[in-house]
Amino acid sequence: MWVARVDEGFVFGDLTPASVETLTGVPMLLESADARVRARLLPETCHEADDEEQWRRHAVPELERLFLSRAQLVRRDLATLRKMPKSEHKLLLIPDGHASAWLAALNGARLALYVMHDLDAAAMEPEGFAKATPKQQEALLRIHLLAELQSVLLGDLDLEPSGPFEEFVIE
Amino acid sequence: MRVRAATKTKTEADTKGKTETQLAKPWNVVVHDDPITLMNYVTKVFMQVFGYGKDKAHRLMMEVHKDGRSIVWTGAREQAEMYAQKLQAHHLLTTLEVVDG
Repeated sequence: MWVARVDEGFVFGDLTPASVETLTGVPMLLESADARVRARLLPETCHEADDEEQWRRHAVPELERLFLSRAQLVRRDLATLRKMPKSEHKLLLIPDGHASAWLAALNGARLALYVMHDLDAAAMEPEGFAKATPKQQEALLRIHLLAELQSVLLGDLDLEPSGPFEEFVIE
Repeated sequence: MRVRAATKTKTEADTKGKTETQLAKPWNVVVHDDPITLMNYVTKVFMQVFGYGKDKAHRLMMEVHKDGRSIVWTGAREQAEMYAQKLQAHHLLTTLEVVDG
C-alpha cells in the first residue's frame, strides 16, 4: 500500500484484495449486533443504575444513529474504489471532509475486531502475535492495517501534495 | 386529608432537595486506557472535544496510558454527559462519576 496527498484528500493505492476485504468490513463491524462489540462501543457509563438507565435512554440511541450514519459514509467512499491499471489492486480516495468520520470508524472497527477475537493487551505486543491462534493472527493483521490508515489520516506522515485527484498519475 | 397533604409536601421537598444536591455535585468525565486506540488519536480527540491545547491533551493522554484512567473534565452533570457522549462517539472508553465529598 502506498499513500499520496491530493487536493481533495488522501489516496491509498495498491490495495490488495485482502486490504480491500478488511476495509469493506469496517461498516459491517460498526453495525455489528455482536454483544461484545456493542458492550465495547456503547459501554456502561454511570455507576448508579438510575443514571445508567437514563444514559441508555437518551445518549445511547444518538450514538447508535451516529455510528450507522458513519458506516454509511464509509460505505459510500468504498463504493468509489477504483481498479488500478494492469492490476487487481485498488485505489481509494478519502476526501478531507470525511477524514474525521473515517478516523473514528477505523477506531471502532479495530476495537470490534479486538473484542470479537478475544484478544488481549499481550496479543498487541510483537511477541504476542506468535502465540495467537490463526484466526486471531488474521484479526491482528487487520487491526494493524487499519491503524496504518489512521496514522495517515492523523497526519503522522509528511506527504507532499500531488495536485488534483483526476490529474494524479499512477505509475 | 391533612395528613396526606402534609406527607405529600414532605415527599416533594425531600425529592427536590435530593435532586438539587445531585445536580449541584460536580461530575467527573473519566477516560480509561485500552490497548487498541492510538495515542495520537486520543490526543487529537481531547483537543477536538474540549478545545485543550496540544500539551494539556498530550499530558492527559499519557495519564490514561500510564495510570489506566484520567479525569479529563469535571463540572456540571449535563455538560459532563455531553462530553462523555462526544468521547464515546470517537470510541474512547469513557465513564461518568459523581464527585464525592
